[in-house]
Amino acid sequence: MRKIIVIVLLGLFYSTLVFALDGNEILKKVDRNLNPESFEMYRKLINIEPDGTKKEFVMFSVKKGKEKIASVFLSPASEKGRGTLRIGENMWLYIPNVGKPIRITSLQSVTGGVFNNSDIMRVDYNSEYNCEKIETTDKGYTLYLRAKLKNVAYETLTMFIDSKRFLPYKIEAYAASGMLIKNLYFKEVKDFGDGIIRPSIIETDSPLYKGYKSYIVFANVKKRELASEIFSLNYMDKIEGLR
Amino acid sequence: MRLVCLVFTIWVTIVFFNPLPLFSQDTDNGLTDLNLDFKIEELEKKPYSINADIETTETIRFLDQDALLFKQKYLNKKNEDVTWQTDLDLIVEAQYQQGSIKLYGRFNGLFYYNDDESFESQRKAEEAYVSFQPSFSLAIDAGKKVHKWGKGYAFSPSAFFARPKDLDDPDATLEGYYSVSADYIKSMEGIVRTVAVTPIFMPVTRDLNHEIGSKDELIWGGKVYVLAYDTDVDLMFSISDNLTNRVGFDFSKNLTPSFEVHGDAAWVKDYRQYIIDAAGNVSEQEDTVFNLLLGIRYLSSQDTTYIFEYYRNGQGYTDWEYEQYLTLIENGFDQYINTSSQTLISKSKTYAAHYNQQAAMKNYLYLKISQKDPFDILYFVPAITFIYNMDDKSASITPQLTYTPVTNFTIDLKTGFLLGESKTEYGEKINTAKVVLSMRYYF
Repeated sequence: MRKIIVIVLLGLFYSTLVFALDGNEILKKVDRNLNPESFEMYRKLINIEPDGTKKEFVMFSVKKGKEKIASVFLSPASEKGRGTLRIGENMWLYIPNVGKPIRITSLQSVTGGVFNNSDIMRVDYNSEYNCEKIETTDKGYTLYLRAKLKNVAYETLTMFIDSKRFLPYKIEAYAASGMLIKNLYFKEVKDFGDGIIRPSIIETDSPLYKGYKSYIVFANVKKRELASEIFSLNYMDKIEGLR
Repeated sequence: MRLVCLVFTIWVTIVFFNPLPLFSQDTDNGLTDLNLDFKIEELEKKPYSINADIETTETIRFLDQDALLFKQKYLNKKNEDVTWQTDLDLIVEAQYQQGSIKLYGRFNGLFYYNDDESFESQRKAEEAYVSFQPSFSLAIDAGKKVHKWGKGYAFSPSAFFARPKDLDDPDATLEGYYSVSADYIKSMEGIVRTVAVTPIFMPVTRDLNHEIGSKDELIWGGKVYVLAYDTDVDLMFSISDNLTNRVGFDFSKNLTPSFEVHGDAAWVKDYRQYIIDAAGNVSEQEDTVFNLLLGIRYLSSQDTTYIFEYYRNGQGYTDWEYEQYLTLIENGFDQYINTSSQTLISKSKTYAAHYNQQAAMKNYLYLKISQKDPFDILYFVPAITFIYNMDDKSASITPQLTYTPVTNFTIDLKTGFLLGESKTEYGEKINTAKVVLSMRYYF
């Protein structure tokens, strides 16, 4: 009897391990399909208020490896030259007027609206999250992700994946309390060239911001080799020169 | 004249900034007009760029005719309880990049009117430098440039090569000094992620940086930045033949996603301080002094940001020393009233640049609380700032409302109240309160 229990427990443990490994492998694949290891891109952020008023921002960004991303605002004029940098859990904001980088957190928002810094300075999901559970659905998979580290904006994510292209079509982001913070919808899959086929629009809404919507529109996503030194505080006022 | 100033401010805002059409452009009642097309001019890189912002400001000061600094400045020759000032400030920022060479300039033109000076104008190049970037690891800058070192928000004891911040507006642009500096950056994997070295050379001559010292010399120094254990650390120093030598360090770290700690420390060697007593006698002290700043930044789940800092100003005056200075002004005013002699008042004015500067004493607490988007009003930020002088227990309280109703247009309403007993720093300032309304348009 004891042998049977041990075998059953081992079997359960093994199957859980296989699922976890599979989930994390799928997550890595999703990360690579969303963007290459090292690349540049332009993004337009659009915040829409309940009365229809909207505000737009345009950013140029470069990303290297799993956890380094740097951006600079190109418009509007009031934000031009503002730079953001993320290295793993560390985030900084450079404001030309202030003249020096200051530390910011993933929960803040440099643009206002529903997107926070974590959404705007998104690094690879697999560098921040472990897959705890995987389910198969009609469209593909649902991954239940838990944060590896303490300094993340969302404690858990539920990622809905289309298995045709291994791209997400929806992510639900939850706080540690289990409260739904926001939904991210990945739309308009587009071929950016050089093998990069990914959603060109991310739409978000949040029960915390009823009536508000925000969009990120992607353009000119291109592979690019980048020096690691670009991702440093001393380089933050020079990011626009990379264009 | 007051009415003219106010009308002028509003007129400039409406006629030149014309926010209403912009407001209507930014409004739609559905998502059908969403411009998701990315063929926009931002994608086309030009070698040059020019940006500007124009700001009009109306400042109303409520004067305290019993305050000692009022008496020092005006004696008994001013009867108004309120003064008005209208500012029109234009900042133009331009840059040109060709290959590894970048030219950058930021120019400020200020035109203002107040009761004391009538119409005046100022113009200056806040920054104007050339930058040579032969590689991603190296940049060399020469010209007039701001070097803001240190992690403090309101105070920067380790900003050895920068002008002091304005405590009323720590985020305001500063004017740089002429210097030659370099940045060498090395990134790596592991515990130490980044190391950067910044040497700097600053000449002082009759024509360059003459505000710093009266003798020709070359001040030099450097900063070493390290990102290790998810902590920013800087070590810095400055060396001078005729002025003080300094060494310092700073740090900044996020302990949690919403809680940051930071600090600056600096030792100033052979700092020479002139102390004037109530009779106008001046004594000189020379010692190595220690400046310290410790601070936190906390973001609550309700999007309220708290910035709290303690500042130990080793170069500041003690409670007794500052009281002696204020008593000298009091004695000087009595002397003027009784004898028409300005001897003592003139003596006090000789050292006013030191004693009347912001944070002139030893120990300060700074707290700023700001709330993002309250009452579901996007781009609206109310804030309140407290500055507390721990030595004489005087204080400044500044509520502020900032609103960006449309893209590129910001309205800022700030009120300031000064609290303190007689012969305290904030209790003896020229005004007891002020209201500042400013409107800024970026283009």
